[in-house]
Amino acid sequence: MSYYEQAAPPVRDQRLKIGDSFAGSAREMLECAKSGCMLQRNRLFWQTGACQMALTIMMAATVERSAIVMHGPIGCGTQLHALCVQTGKGKTKRGKQPEPPAWLSTNLQESDVIGGGELKLREAIEYADREFRPEIIFVVSTCAPNIIGDDVEEIVRRAKESSAAHVVSLHCPGFKSRVVASAYDAFYHGLLRHLPLEPEPWRDFVPHTSGRDDFGQIKYAHIKARTVNLWNATSIGPGDEGELERLLGALGLKTRVFAEYSNADEFRLVSQAALNVSMCDVHDDYMLSFLKEKFGTPYIMAGMPIGFHDTRQWLKSIAARFGLENEADRLADNEEAAAREAIAPFLPKIQGKRVLLCGGVVRVGTEAIFLKELGMEVLTFRAYHYESGAEKIYERVADELPCARIAVSNQLFEFCNQIKRLKPDLVISHNGTQGILAKLGVPSIQLFDVDRSFFGYAGVFSLLQRIAFAFRNTSYQKRLSAHVKFPYRESWYDMDAFHYIKD
Amino acid sequence: MTSFVEKPRSACALAGALSTISALPDVIPIVHTSMGCGGNLSGANSFGSGYWGAGYCGGGSIPTSAVTETEIVFGGNDRLREEIVSTLELIDGQLYIVATGCMTEMIGDDTRGVTNDFIAEGKPIITVSTPSFKGDSYSGYEIVLNGIFNGYLQKTERTDPKLVNIFGVIPAYDPFFRGDLEEMARLIRALGLEANTFFTPDQTFENVRSAPSAALNIVFSRVWGTSFAEEFEKKHGTPYWATELPIGPEASDAFLSDLAERTHVPRRRVEEVIDRENKIYYGYFERTADVFCDSDFKYYAFTVTNSNYAIPLVRYARNELGWVVLDVFVTDQLNDIQKKTLLRAFEDIRFDDTGLLFETDAGAIARAMVRRHPENRGERYFDGHSPLFILGSSIEKAVAQKRGAAQLSISFPAFNRMIVDRGYAGYRGGLHLFEDIVGSLVFPKG
Repeated sequence: MSYYEQAAPPVRDQRLKIGDSFAGSAREMLECAKSGCMLQRNRLFWQTGACQMALTIMMAATVERSAIVMHGPIGCGTQLHALCVQTGKGKTKRGKQPEPPAWLSTNLQESDVIGGGELKLREAIEYADREFRPEIIFVVSTCAPNIIGDDVEEIVRRAKESSAAHVVSLHCPGFKSRVVASAYDAFYHGLLRHLPLEPEPWRDFVPHTSGRDDFGQIKYAHIKARTVNLWNATSIGPGDEGELERLLGALGLKTRVFAEYSNADEFRLVSQAALNVSMCDVHDDYMLSFLKEKFGTPYIMAGMPIGFHDTRQWLKSIAARFGLENEADRLADNEEAAAREAIAPFLPKIQGKRVLLCGGVVRVGTEAIFLKELGMEVLTFRAYHYESGAEKIYERVADELPCARIAVSNQLFEFCNQIKRLKPDLVISHNGTQGILAKLGVPSIQLFDVDRSFFGYAGVFSLLQRIAFAFRNTSYQKRLSAHVKFPYRESWYDMDAFHYIKD
Repeated sequence: MTSFVEKPRSACALAGALSTISALPDVIPIVHTSMGCGGNLSGANSFGSGYWGAGYCGGGSIPTSAVTETEIVFGGNDRLREEIVSTLELIDGQLYIVATGCMTEMIGDDTRGVTNDFIAEGKPIITVSTPSFKGDSYSGYEIVLNGIFNGYLQKTERTDPKLVNIFGVIPAYDPFFRGDLEEMARLIRALGLEANTFFTPDQTFENVRSAPSAALNIVFSRVWGTSFAEEFEKKHGTPYWATELPIGPEASDAFLSDLAERTHVPRRRVEEVIDRENKIYYGYFERTADVFCDSDFKYYAFTVTNSNYAIPLVRYARNELGWVVLDVFVTDQLNDIQKKTLLRAFEDIRFDDTGLLFETDAGAIARAMVRRHPENRGERYFDGHSPLFILGSSIEKAVAQKRGAAQLSISFPAFNRMIVDRGYAGYRGGLHLFEDIVGSLVFPKG
């Protein structure tokens, strides 16, 4: 049975070569992944992070006119207060209704853990349908119901029969994997199994009798043949989506952006495209291969359009599918010339500076290569996890930065050790770590930030602008770091940052 | 059977345990559960309490056994043992607390057994059982206090007649806990006493150690920490006094008089303190009357808070502002005994026809407001309880906007403001609360 037919999706540990504990050169990393040793690696010490549930609801909370039913104890989903503020902003910036999704917790108690929580779940779904009248109800299955064996899928199946809303189950128990990237598959699995992804007659179009209105048909087919679906991620803001739409638009291609910040009406158009394009190689393979299987839509994973080289390659690989490779090259020439001129004043300010990067595996690899090309010294970088999808970019890292000892780590104690020992001039890091970096006395900028640009030519300019800005006045970090005590014993900083990784 | 909850304002026992531990000096949590719990919960704690932050060993720094499917199947004791060894090696702390989550409780790990091995080696470590199905964030606070003060700390022969411990104010879920504790300590010290607040930046682990020698425990809560204080009394012999957090001068005067009596502080001394504090308070407050009265800032009000703030707030709004509080919504999940205790305390203060309603569900609170105090739907003459002010959480912002009411976020989750050392308790806190309420009104006047 294919994954897509199963009630719950597999975690990536089951379907890909994946890892979260490694230090070495890019070449060693690739070999370790291929041989499978990456899978085995672990640590003697772990610090807490997120779970696949956290990222799954992060995605679900972006969907307009939806409600979320957290099936679990009352603590699971408490971050929705925060997520809904973020996604409200994201919706507004994309011209959508900022109204936050209503959300409920089934608030599982000791008696439910013993007797099962299915009844409560059914009542919560019915209530959500009746009270909020959402288009989609996401039913999020957390750790506890998975351990006690609640049949969430059966409850959802029955709820679908009696609900006005689409009921979409999202199976994402955190204990299944330490690697949160499985969340993307969990969210997509819910979409692909429970939401209509094709236009509905009488709602999206009027079915026509044969031989008539063929101009309409031709026109539709023509547009569809030039429509590209771009698959976004939580780290990708409206600025980035806009930049890529602009560039593809210049090539005469129409774009639609999925799946975050889409609504039920838009999801029905998923199948109406000539090509699916991922914006991050480790984000969408699960969904895109499903769409290929189901609708025959081809897809490409062309890396992240960060920096001149990768933006050009990204554009060209899409353009090649439409016979527009030459146009894409000329477009990139034109864009690049203007952007290079624009960033010229920043270059002397950043060249030779020692930088450390930390965050998503594809993004840090791509950006590290670009920063090296611009003349920065890349000390090292840290990828939050590694998986087969990142192979392509790490082959290039192995060539471009052969000496860098890179790490697969999302662990703060290792991060702190590296910062103290390497003393970078600048750190470009994942959201959630900037406070730690300031307390360590290091200037830093966000690796991504949905309010700013990172992709394409707008992204190049923005990146340079932000790096140069970070170097102007670092008093805040200096003063703060002089007064902050970290929890690690002094002896930790004499040890290798990856001392606690075990084979 | 409890029901589902819309937008719950409290998370699980582990969340409360983590906010409590995170506010204690040099106390290190070790979370025995899967990878995400600690990060997810401490992020939410920080966000909901006006961006409190992660602190010394909170947020992504929290050690965790990060159990996965392997441990769920084969047991997590070994992984926990390994994590404790590494934590003791790496992390500098005075006390380490293993807090459990749902997964490891459900599979029946022998967490206590693992910790006992380390205790036998003389390591300062304890275990607290904090799965969600044992209780919410508020009970997590109590569980941690019990673990430290009634479990870890030894009985002492020494009693310090001037030392007072403050409990009942819950880190994060009382978003102003630090400012409130500071002000209470300031007032207690003004009487010539000493105060342990435990959860403010001036404290060290020595304050925790000294707690058993205190002459009195003040619990600023009618329901949270009282059973803990009872146990404390049984073990250490320290009596406790459960009362409301005083907000504003009238409540603070009463609090100080009462405290002086309980601690045998001479009447003259407390009167001096009360006089001085009132002189300062009214020195500031008097000047605010011009804008307050000229702008007609007399309001009807709803309050939506946890049980700790409910009575203090309505007392302040009624006595210091002269407002008419329509309903008091209490949002923490209380059992029947706790509800009765709170109702009794509420009766003592006796407000006109103000209702005390126990409701956790965000939607139910919004509906109750409309049902109990309808808006005008086109009638020519209609007493629609306007102007209206909602003192609640950030969740009430939408409700207030819909109804054209003013709103200030003063309860969890409060995420449309930054909270640093601000508190609403005491005299200074009374001024701060006034400043924030009127501050929210002066700009969009009219």
